[in-house]
Amino acid sequence: MAGIKVKAKLKNGVVNVKSMVKHAMMTYNMAEKKTGSRDNANFITHLSATVNGETVLDMSTSQFLSKNPIFKFKFKGIGKKGDKVEMLAVDLKGKTYKGKGKIK
Amino acid sequence: MERRKFLSMTLGALALAAVPASVRAEDFRKLKPTVWTAKTVDDAIKAMYGSNALVMEGVKLNAPDVASNGGAIPVDFSTDKDVKTIAVFQDANPEAAVLVVDTNKYSVNKYSIKIKMAKSGTITIVAQGNDGKLYAAKKTLDVALGGCEG
Repeated sequence: MAGIKVKAKLKNGVVNVKSMVKHAMMTYNMAEKKTGSRDNANFITHLSATVNGETVLDMSTSQFLSKNPIFKFKFKGIGKKGDKVEMLAVDLKGKTYKGKGKIK
Repeated sequence: MERRKFLSMTLGALALAAVPASVRAEDFRKLKPTVWTAKTVDDAIKAMYGSNALVMEGVKLNAPDVASNGGAIPVDFSTDKDVKTIAVFQDANPEAAVLVVDTNKYSVNKYSIKIKMAKSGTITIVAQGNDGKLYAAKKTLDVALGGCEG
């Protein structure tokens, strides 16, 4: 299943999040080489994370992230143990990927 | 409560709830499309911020000196400055922009990501401060095996 793995940990008031999006991250060059058409390129273009409805991460991305890219980020001032970090990624073809993890 | 009023209120609430986070958030791919097609770091920074007068301080960038696998190069960056956005660029790939983070009031500006680089090159992190300055850091690294050709 396409999705995002999310791990979140609360430490000294700061929530550390580790996440991995399962995605091939096909660049234009790779697509051309492998499939003969640049149009087959597909990669995540936007990634966001929310806690209790508030956005804590907002990232616009390009094709130069690694395959199955890992994102680590931190936030504070929101979220306590047991709250869920929900993440949403959108790729070039408009497909969305979702994932969530409890703050530990 | 009148039925009609109740209905319209419910509908309004539903419409609000249905707006996903990605719509409220800034999508820089739509806002500034030229950033993502710029071929050089300078052009991309100009397209993003309208200037390329960088202040080489306030941003920490950590990446390996030699990357054995260009397909997944770990890059850590952080800043203590009060910033609006942080952007990552490199000059080894056909286009320069890698990602743009739009910070918010909850952000602790420390990120770790993995990027692809086709050959040896320089990674540039630019953080746009709320004071209008562009804080930046650069790191040149060797890539043993390029990661972009698959």
